[in-house]
Amino acid sequence: MVTTPLIEAENLAVKYPNGDLALEDVTFSIDPSTFMAIIGPNGSGKTTLLKTMLGLIKPAEGSLRVMGLDTRKEYQKIRRMVRYLPQRDEIEATVPVKVKDIVLMGRLLKKPPLRMASRKDVDFAKDALRRVDLVDLWDHPFPELSGGQRQRVLVARALAAEGQIMMLDEPMSGADHDSQVKIVEALQEYYNESQVNIIMVTHDLNPIHTVVKDVLMLNRRVMGIGHPCAVMDLELLKQVYGPTAKIVELAGHKYCITGDSGFDRHDH
Amino acid sequence: MIIDALNLILTSPIIQRAIIASILVSIIAATSGTFVVFRGLSFLTAGVAHAALGGVALALFLQATAIAPWFDPILGAVIFAVFVAVLTAYAGERGVAQKMEVAVGVSFALSMSIAVFLMYYLPPTLVPVIWGYLIGDILLLDNLDIILLLGVALSLVTLFILFKNEFVYVSIDMEGSTAHGMNARAYNYLLLIFAAIAIALTIKAVGAILVYAILIAPAAASNEVMKTVNNVIIGTFVIALLAMFLGLAGSFAISASPSAIAGIIAALSYIIAIQVKRYIRSK
Repeated sequence: MVTTPLIEAENLAVKYPNGDLALEDVTFSIDPSTFMAIIGPNGSGKTTLLKTMLGLIKPAEGSLRVMGLDTRKEYQKIRRMVRYLPQRDEIEATVPVKVKDIVLMGRLLKKPPLRMASRKDVDFAKDALRRVDLVDLWDHPFPELSGGQRQRVLVARALAAEGQIMMLDEPMSGADHDSQVKIVEALQEYYNESQVNIIMVTHDLNPIHTVVKDVLMLNRRVMGIGHPCAVMDLELLKQVYGPTAKIVELAGHKYCITGDSGFDRHDH
Repeated sequence: MIIDALNLILTSPIIQRAIIASILVSIIAATSGTFVVFRGLSFLTAGVAHAALGGVALALFLQATAIAPWFDPILGAVIFAVFVAVLTAYAGERGVAQKMEVAVGVSFALSMSIAVFLMYYLPPTLVPVIWGYLIGDILLLDNLDIILLLGVALSLVTLFILFKNEFVYVSIDMEGSTAHGMNARAYNYLLLIFAAIAIALTIKAVGAILVYAILIAPAAASNEVMKTVNNVIIGTFVIALLAMFLGLAGSFAISASPSAIAGIIAALSYIIAIQVKRYIRSK
C-alpha cells in the first residue's frame, strides 16, 4: 500500500514580496504520521515554507503538496485540516477577550457563521487548557497574560481544534523555561495519543529534539532531513550556522550550540 | 415654567429628530466605532470622514453644473468613503497596520484636495453646504436623514449580531483565522465597508471634524476600562449617548454647536478612562 506523503515538495522555489528568493530548489517528502521540526537560522525560509503549505504564499516554481493536495489550488481543503499557531507578533492584544474565547476560537473557526460554542466545544477547550496547565485561567483576560502564558493558550487553541495537521510557528518564542517545558510536554502527550501530525517551526531544536520524529533543516535549500540525531551533526551545523556551532553531550543527550539559541536555557 | 419649556422642546419635530439621531449615532458608535478601535484603525475614521467631504463637494459640483443633477451629496459621501475603506482593506490584506495608515493618509489628502479644488468652481451659495458637512448640525436633519441613519444603525446591529465572532477574530489574528479556513479577507472588507458607510452618513449630523470624537473616543474610553467585548459595546453606547444628549442640552443653555459640546465630553471620557484604568492598576 502506498501512503500519500504528508508534505511533498518538488523543486519548490518561493519568493519574498520584494522578489528575493526565500526558498529554492526544495525537494523533500515526509510521511504521516509525524511530529516534525523545521529548523534553520533566521531568514532561512522556515516560516515561508509553513505559509506556502497553507496557501498563504504562492510558490514561484515547482510544487508543494499537503496530503496530496496542491497548495496553489486546493488550499481551502488544506486549511480545513489545519490548526495553526502564527508567530507571536501576529497576535493583537487590543481586544478584551478572555482566555476561553481564544481557545474556543480554534473550534469555532471551523464552524459556519454564528459559530456558537456547544457543550462539546467547551469540553474540548477545557481539556486543551488542562494539557498546558492553564485551566484555572479559563475566565481570565487574555491581554493580561505573560508572554509564556499567551503562547500556552495559543497552543491550547491548536490542541482544542479539529484537523489532521497542526502547524506551529515558533510556539516557544518569548516563553519562559517553565512554559516551554509545558508546551513540549503537552505536544508530546497529544501526539502520542492522537497521532495528529505536528509540524513545528523553531530556531531551537534543543528543547524538542527528544520528542520529534523528523527534522527538516533549511537554509533557503534543504540542508538536512531525517531523524534528529542525523541532523545534529557537527559538520552540518557548521555549514548552516557558521564555524562557532558546537554540539555538546550532556546526560546522554546531544545539544546544539548555535548563534541562534542560547545554551543557558537547557543546562538545568 | 420648566415643564412648559421641556414640553415645548420635546414636542418640537426638530428636537425629536435630534434626540432620535443621538440614539442612532450612539448605536453606530457602539458597533462600528468599537470594532474600528479593536481593529486598531481609529485613524480610518478621520480619513473616511474627510474623504466623504470630497464626495460631497464632487456631488454638489455635478449638481450645480447640471452634469448629474440627481447626484445627492450623501451618495457622493458614501462612494468616497467606501473607496477609502476598500483601499485601506486592500493595503492591509496581510494585516499590516502601518500600510493601512499610509493608505488612509494618502486618500484623505487626495479627497480633501478634491474638495478644496472644487470649492472654487462652485456657486458661492453652495460653499456653506460643504462647511455644513464639515461642522455638521444635528438640529438640521430632515426625515430622510433620520431614515438613512436608522437604516445604517439597524444594518450594523444585524451585522454585528451575525458576525461578532468573525470581526473579533479578524481583529485578533487575521492570519490564524485564514489558516483555519475562515474567509478572513471577506470579513475584513465587510467590516471596513460598513464602517465607512456609517461614517459617511453620520457626518451630516455631527460633522466630518467631530465624527472622530463621537465614533472613536467613547469606544476607546470604554475599551480602556471594560473587560469583555460585550461590555465595551455597552459602555461605548452609554458614553456616546451621554455625550450627545449633554451636547444637545448644552446647546440650549449656551449657544454653541451640540456636536462641539458632545465632542468635548467624548474626548474627556477617554482622558477620564485612562485615569480610571491607572487608578485600578495602582490598587
